[in-house]
Amino acid sequence: MSVPLRRLRETPRHLLVCERSHVRHERSRHTAHVRDHPYNCRVSFLIPECGLLPEALKSVMSDVGEYYLVKNLSLHELVLHDFINTFVRKGSCYELTCNTKIDQDNTAALLPTGKLIISVDKDTYEELGLQGLPSQYSGKKVMRYIVTIDLTDSAFNPDGKKYKRVLWALKEKKPLEFDFLLAWHHAGAEESSLMTYFSKHHIQARQPKITFSTLRNLQCPVLRNNKLQGEPEESCSAQELFEWLGAIFNNADLDNKSFSFLSTYSCPQPSTNVEQTYLCTITGFILPEKIIQLLEQMCCYFDEPKLAEWVTLTVHGFADSPISWREYEHGFQKGGENLYNFVVFRNLDYWLQMAVGARDSCPP
Amino acid sequence: MVRFKHRYLLCELVSEDPRCRQCIEERAVSAAVKDAVARTHGDFGLACCSIAFTVKYLNAYTGIVLLRCRKDFYQLLWSSLPFVTYLENKNQRYLCFFNTLHVGGTIRTCQKFLIQYNKSQLLQLLHSCTNEVERQAIQKSVLSCSLKEEEQFQEEEEDDLEETDST
Amino acid sequence: MIETDTGKGSTPAAYERIVFKTTSPHHYMKVRLEFQEAGVRLNAAHFKQLVVSALKELHGEFGAALPVDVLTYEETSLSAILRVSSSGLVKLWSALTLLGSYQNRKCAFKVIQTSPFLLALSGNSRELVWN
Repeated sequence: MSVPLRRLRETPRHLLVCERSHVRHERSRHTAHVRDHPYNCRVSFLIPECGLLPEALKSVMSDVGEYYLVKNLSLHELVLHDFINTFVRKGSCYELTCNTKIDQDNTAALLPTGKLIISVDKDTYEELGLQGLPSQYSGKKVMRYIVTIDLTDSAFNPDGKKYKRVLWALKEKKPLEFDFLLAWHHAGAEESSLMTYFSKHHIQARQPKITFSTLRNLQCPVLRNNKLQGEPEESCSAQELFEWLGAIFNNADLDNKSFSFLSTYSCPQPSTNVEQTYLCTITGFILPEKIIQLLEQMCCYFDEPKLAEWVTLTVHGFADSPISWREYEHGFQKGGENLYNFVVFRNLDYWLQMAVGARDSCPP
Repeated sequence: MVRFKHRYLLCELVSEDPRCRQCIEERAVSAAVKDAVARTHGDFGLACCSIAFTVKYLNAYTGIVLLRCRKDFYQLLWSSLPFVTYLENKNQRYLCFFNTLHVGGTIRTCQKFLIQYNKSQLLQLLHSCTNEVERQAIQKSVLSCSLKEEEQFQEEEEDDLEETDST
Repeated sequence: MIETDTGKGSTPAAYERIVFKTTSPHHYMKVRLEFQEAGVRLNAAHFKQLVVSALKELHGEFGAALPVDVLTYEETSLSAILRVSSSGLVKLWSALTLLGSYQNRKCAFKVIQTSPFLLALSGNSRELVWN
């Protein structure tokens, strides 16, 4: 087929990584995967054959933790020695710019490892005067640069040349202001809080929004924990499940006939009819630590005998965060999707599905 | 500079209606083809096929038509040819259909193919002759087109003909 | 420690990883139909008909034969989630873009989000507004 006609049929690159392992296996990397994906905007879970949520799960859900929103915060505040010592070194500090678009605006993110990542367009980069790398996804003409500053680096101290240079660049050379989402996770006692530290910056505390619903008489696909690819007539594949979950969370109609005019989508076969399914969605700025707790509680759900064969936990990342997993650069292009989904089986086997769009590296 | 590459579709217009012969003319053929492309591939397909689209050669007696379009989009044109069902001329519709004989990159290859094709058609006609007058007329035309070629080839051809005659 | 279910003979310590690279059979589009004038109503069947007619206009009968599904449709906001086979995404998108009117009333399709994963449409961080 000729090039122009082939273009008409091509779609942007996307990846779906499916993994299968056991939650209690000592080499299982599921917690690492969750931890490596720092910025999450929505967590949803689905429990078949469940009318009432167990108390333990409920308490974790209600304690997903508040986050903060600071408007027009100057970026240089984040590299101040005071801030680094109080927050970055004493816990996991998560910060992400909001109301910015990665494909048009400048964005910044502070990783829990203490790395500050600033993704800026060419003009800002040239004005800024900090060393960075051209974006991985730029074409012949580089229009976006990524500046990475390690705040916990030993060379990054108030007397150091580097510190002075960064502070000068962000404070005087090219002051950048953003709206930030902040959250701080720390193990020790409460000595100071983000609320008091940023008190003069109009900081607002936010609670995650929780919505839940119960679906009646739902067609659920049959899954086999050791058959990731599914088997005809016996169980559904991971990809089919992924699409089905999407249909559930988007309230799509599941039992269409093959001759239906509107839609021919139907639940993958084989399927079972489930009387009631519990659906819950948490929206906010959700930390990986909390997701690990949630996942742990999902596993505990099977401590007592339950009718459900499996439960799922879906996590959506921010489309406009400069990174997706670890420090892999993230871009938007057509959808900017970065999400993952756990399916935990009754015997605590799990499937993990990680999906990314065109401008993302393969998840770890 | 790189030249624009084209594809040439050598087609045969088949019609049961003898009056259809009269209306095989450039405008009618190109209108019918373009109409079919617009129907099957829409505005997009029509725009693609219209780049450098021409009817390069047309023979009303044999019904042979040579269409040209850009190499990138000849598949769009080719796939819509079966959807041409009539030719329209002076508000008269004549049922007919396209039979694609050859797809070539140059007019030269199409011409070569057409000569070969016509020769084989003549031989077929010879087989289906009913009376002596027709037979002689066709033999004459076969000889005339063979004479122009090399002698050796010509002899072979004649031998062949004699053989076929005797059988 | 590996806990195994006694009922089923699951193999312990199994690890499997499959990477599907650009294999999604479908693409999904979240779209909204916007009219110049207010108060135009159309039901799901008419909406689908409009999408098919847009495809037919730009890509002809071949385009109209593309399998497009309207997974969800909201009549009040005229927004829908469409499913199309991956090879037809560009055709569908271009056809929606070039659609200009419905029953002589000016309208336009606004593409809110597209993704190869339906699940991604349920968690769009760009729809969240922080203020």
